[in-house]
Amino acid sequence: MKKLLIMCGTGIATSTVVKGKVEQWLKDNDLSQEVKIYQSKVSDEIGRIDEYDVVLSTTLVPDKIKDKVIDGVPLLTGIGVDSMYDKVLAEIKRE
Amino acid sequence: MKVEKELAIIELEATSKEEALQLLGSKLIEQGYVKENFIESILEREKNYPTGLPTEPFGVAIPHTDGDMIHTSTIAFASLKNPVKFLMMGTDDKLVEVKLIFMLALKSPDDQLEMLQKLMELIQDPEMVSKLAQIKSVDELNELVEDKV
Repeated sequence: MKKLLIMCGTGIATSTVVKGKVEQWLKDNDLSQEVKIYQSKVSDEIGRIDEYDVVLSTTLVPDKIKDKVIDGVPLLTGIGVDSMYDKVLAEIKRE
Repeated sequence: MKVEKELAIIELEATSKEEALQLLGSKLIEQGYVKENFIESILEREKNYPTGLPTEPFGVAIPHTDGDMIHTSTIAFASLKNPVKFLMMGTDDKLVEVKLIFMLALKSPDDQLEMLQKLMELIQDPEMVSKLAQIKSVDELNELVEDKV
């Protein structure tokens, strides 16, 4: 089971929207059984980011964890959604 | 989704995002939906975690802050006479010209999930964004957003 973290500044607003969309996407792609979703705020996760396989964020993250994080803003604006999901899928499928 | 009459400002005149956030935030305070220091909290939040979204034909901002600042979950709305600059969400250097502000007062994640999702759908539709910027009354606003629900 892969761990997918969705985070935003508060862990309440935008991460909730992103979570709803990602859940639906997982279902549509028969991936629900392979991925467990976590929702949180950035400040709580900086120290344990390596515990997750995939990380989506709608806010800017500190440089030291930047490489690990995929920009989730496309799910809020509708612009660039496909290439974002390509990145997510690649991380889910990574051995 | 519905915006209370007391929580909407149509054609708000502001010269900065700070001014716009203050004017809209004070509506929420006056009506008792949020705590007294809500505005400071929103402004601080906006600095660290900007909420400008690069939607078409112009930007929309969705300022919000921690749930413990909120008494009762709701949403406030402002259309701006002239756009103000917000930082783009997920960046600290890109600016968005914002003409619509949906200020979210949310207590907990599950609270307003449906409302949030609908809001995001609305603002992904350029025609809707364009219409929302032209409304003249709160009734018109609610007619527009209700249709979509």
